[in-house]
Amino acid sequence: MMWELGDLLIFGSIMIVTWFLFIYNWPRLILYIYKRAILGKGFGDGPIPVNTLQTEPQTLFADPIHPPASASNLATTGVNRDTLLTVGWLDLRKGPLSLHIPEMNGRYYSVQFTNPSNNTVFAYVGRRTTGTTAGDYLITGPNRKGEVPSGMRQISSPNNSVLVIGRVLVESDSDLPAAHHLAEQIQLTPLNQEGSI
Amino acid sequence: MSARTYSYLTVLIGVVIGFFFIYSFIFNPSARTVRNDVIQSFLVGFGLAFITLQILGRIKATKVNGWTTMFRCGEPSIGFLSRAACALTFPGPINLPQEAMYWTTDLDGAGHVLSGAHNYVMHFPAEQLPPNDAFWSLTMGFDNNRFVPNPINRYSVSDRSGLVPNADGSVDIYLQNVAPAGHESNWLPAPAGKFILWLRVYQPGPAILSGEYRVPPVMETRAQ
Repeated sequence: MMWELGDLLIFGSIMIVTWFLFIYNWPRLILYIYKRAILGKGFGDGPIPVNTLQTEPQTLFADPIHPPASASNLATTGVNRDTLLTVGWLDLRKGPLSLHIPEMNGRYYSVQFTNPSNNTVFAYVGRRTTGTTAGDYLITGPNRKGEVPSGMRQISSPNNSVLVIGRVLVESDSDLPAAHHLAEQIQLTPLNQEGSI
Repeated sequence: MSARTYSYLTVLIGVVIGFFFIYSFIFNPSARTVRNDVIQSFLVGFGLAFITLQILGRIKATKVNGWTTMFRCGEPSIGFLSRAACALTFPGPINLPQEAMYWTTDLDGAGHVLSGAHNYVMHFPAEQLPPNDAFWSLTMGFDNNRFVPNPINRYSVSDRSGLVPNADGSVDIYLQNVAPAGHESNWLPAPAGKFILWLRVYQPGPAILSGEYRVPPVMETRAQ
C-alpha cells in the first residue's frame, strides 16, 4: 500500500466534511433558489421587496399555460390549481412585522412560516390552526424583547430570515376574483413606534 | 427504455467511472501529492454526498401503488438526513403533513412510465376518496412539472370539479389524451407523451396521517 497515515487523515477528513456539509445544507440551497426568485423576479410584476407579501396575479392562475415572460421560472413550475399563492421573504433584523389576515368566512387558507436554514415549518396561521376569522399577528425574530401589543398573537421565529407562503383556496373559476381579493389582503407592515411599547 | 433499466444503466456507468477514477488517481503512487489529495477528497466527498442523497430519497420515501410520498417533512424534530431526503423529493417549502399531504407519480400501478400513448383509469372505491377536512385534488403535468394545454382548459380534477360517481358510489377518473365518450366530466386530459400526476390532500384525515389510507393505483385500460 502506498498510503501514508497523513495522506489518509487529510483525504478522509476533507471527504467526510464535504459530504456532511453538502447533505446538511441541501435544504438551505433549495430555499436559496426561492429567495432569489422572490427578491429577484416575483410573479411577473417585478421583484417582491423584502418584508412584503405579493399574491400571484389572477391571470397567472386563470391561464397557467401562458405565464408572463417576466415571471420567475419557479412561479411557473409546479402544477397547482387549488390555491392562490402569496409569498414573501422576511428579514426580522429590522424589527418585528405585523401580519394582517382578513375575515375568511370558513374558506380554506393557510400562511406557512418556514425557517429557510433547514426547510422546517415553525408556525402556521390558517383555517386548521387559528380559524378563519380576521386577525393580526406579530412576527418576531429570535432576539426580540418587549411585549406584544394587545389584540395581537405572537409568532416567534427561530431565525431572522423567514420564508412565508400563503395559500387561499379557489373554489371555482367564478370564485377566482373573490379568492384573489382575500389573498391580497394578507399583508405585512412593520410594527410602528406606538405599537412597539 | 423503462425507468428501471435507466436507473440500472446510470448506476453501472457510475461504478465504471468511479472504478477508473480510484484506480488511476488514488492508488497510483506517482500521482499522490497533498494538493491532489485535497482536490480528490473534496470531489469524492461531493460525489458520495450526491449518491447518499439519491439513496436517502429512495429509502425515506413511502411508496403506495406506484405513488411516492414522505411523512414528517417540514417537522423541526427530524434529523438532517430526513430533511435532505424531503428537499430532494419535494424541492421547496413543503407543508407539514397535518396541513397537507402530497403524492406524486410518473408510473402506473404496474410500474410502467405514464404516457398519453395509453389510456388510464384511477378508480376510487365507494367512500374511498381521500379523507380530509379541507379539499383534495389530482393534477396533471408534463414530466417537467408544467401544465398540459388541452381543449377544455382542465388542469386538475378535485372535490370541486363536479366528478360524477358510478352507480355503486365509486369514482373513476379517466387519464387520457382523447376525451372518454360519455365520461367527459371525469376526464383529466393527458398530453400525447409522458406525464406526471400530483395528488394533494389538505387537512388530511387521521387515516392518511396514520398511513392506513392507500392511494389507488393508476391502471392502464387495455383495448377491448
